[in-house]
Amino acid sequence: MTVATHKTTLDVINLNIALPNGVRILRDVSLSLEPGEVRALVGESGAGKSMIGKSVLGILPPSLRVTEGEIILEGQHLNAMSPSTRRTTVAKTAALIPQDPLTALNPVRKIGPQIVDPLIRIHGWSADKARARALDLLDRVHIRAPERVMNSYPHELSGGMRQRILIAAAFAPSPRLIVADEPTTALDVTVQKQILRLIRELQQETGTAVLFVTHDMGVVAKISQKVTVLFAGKVMEDATTKAVFTDPQHPYTRALIAATPSYADLERPFSPVPASLISDLHQQIAQDDALYKGARR
Amino acid sequence: MADTTISTPRARRSGKPNLRLWLPLLWLGFVALAAILAPLVAPHDPLTQDLMLERLPPFFIDGTEPGYLLGTDSLGRDVLSRMIHGARIALFVSLIAATATCLFGSVLGLVAGYFGGWWDRVISRLVDIWMAFPPVLFAVLLVAVMGTGLTSVIAAIALIDWTRFARVIRAETMVQSRMDYVDSSRIGGARRIATLASEILPNVLPSIIALLMLEMGIAVIVEAILSFVNLSISSDDPTWGSMIAEGRNAIHFAWWVLLFPLIALFLTVLSFSTLGEGLKQRFDPVLQ
Repeated sequence: MTVATHKTTLDVINLNIALPNGVRILRDVSLSLEPGEVRALVGESGAGKSMIGKSVLGILPPSLRVTEGEIILEGQHLNAMSPSTRRTTVAKTAALIPQDPLTALNPVRKIGPQIVDPLIRIHGWSADKARARALDLLDRVHIRAPERVMNSYPHELSGGMRQRILIAAAFAPSPRLIVADEPTTALDVTVQKQILRLIRELQQETGTAVLFVTHDMGVVAKISQKVTVLFAGKVMEDATTKAVFTDPQHPYTRALIAATPSYADLERPFSPVPASLISDLHQQIAQDDALYKGARR
Repeated sequence: MADTTISTPRARRSGKPNLRLWLPLLWLGFVALAAILAPLVAPHDPLTQDLMLERLPPFFIDGTEPGYLLGTDSLGRDVLSRMIHGARIALFVSLIAATATCLFGSVLGLVAGYFGGWWDRVISRLVDIWMAFPPVLFAVLLVAVMGTGLTSVIAAIALIDWTRFARVIRAETMVQSRMDYVDSSRIGGARRIATLASEILPNVLPSIIALLMLEMGIAVIVEAILSFVNLSISSDDPTWGSMIAEGRNAIHFAWWVLLFPLIALFLTVLSFSTLGEGLKQRFDPVLQ
């Protein structure tokens, strides 16, 4: 077991999350992020990708519980903290770029306060300083007329603009870690590219570590240095992005890459992840679960 | 990246005036003014009886006496003056009772919907149990126990109808609680209670206002019903309900005693519920 040093931004060690009936959503997940590193979390829907980010940020749905494992953010053990200390610690060090820009901004509040209020709360900045920071960030995500946008309601802006605003809001408090939860899924393809470029630009400028949740292998190749492949809440492969694409070790990773349509080769037939592989994996996981239960008894 | 999608929020408002908002406001303003200025604007004392002037018809029918615009009742009391004084009681009850009901029910609904868990279980069960009582029987029972009078009427309304607010606001709060911006607020370091106040409450507020207006209308009706069965304030005092109850006996030869307070009651209740809808639209930036 690795001992957390202050060098890593995030360490997740043997994380298990379970439903009230005991069924595990995450199975002994471990991963770590170096400062300034982008790690992609890939897997199919329901693989538990988002749950890792949510448990780090402390926004798991109330029915889910962390049953075992450690989350260490900037050297601080989150599980050992009281809820209020944890809340302020997370607020100071981490931020979220959410999946759906249409529901991530409060429809009845203007954009300005939605970016500015957390800055005042987290850093104790003056309203003017927080406002200047928000305007600066909006400018950095290429929002024209940021003053006017700050004074707008979310429904007055397009989806792409809202996602850029959310990126600005995530970077504004200078977090050490950003969880990007499928930030491009809800956008159309032309906007997706811009958004990816923006996140990468800001990430490189600020040296923020990013946990990038996605199911799109194409996005993985563009943005990340490391990859964690998940299946049914279990880590299948953890490697550098280069290694994953050039020499994938796990059969599931190979199948995922093979299933990604290629724009260069449109003639190639579509090859989904084979059903036999999936049933094999499920069998393995059932065995794991039996062992896990036995060990805990 | 074209930032041309900023629409002007006031575009729709500059069109034709919102009748749903202004017609009810006009009528309610009129009633409120009459209620506030009752002693000044009422042409007669609402309690003065004059058996020589009993059952005078309203002004547009032959055989009327000047000065009695809407006629008199079977004891010779001026119908218009009694209606104006009745507006006082109707509005007073609706304002106090509906506000109390709204505060009590909405707070419980917000807490149950947002905090969930035990809070939700206890509050929801309480609502279920409460709603199993037949409301009219419950009201009559409450007033019978507490004694007649305005306080009892107000208490009865609040104690019966808080479940309406609790149920609706709980459901809306639950929907809002699942929104991503609630998570974002938590990640941004906001306390739960602050998140509830700054993120969820503004989204639920239009519904609270609409329900509040509806409740004001309901309070007017409940007060009228309790007056009708003589469980509100003393039957001498002019309330719309007691006027309707009295007018019932003479409906075949003096219909105006019943009809005019009934119209006032109808318009007031209708205005409240329409105003609720109008305000809901007005305050919702998305619907605008």
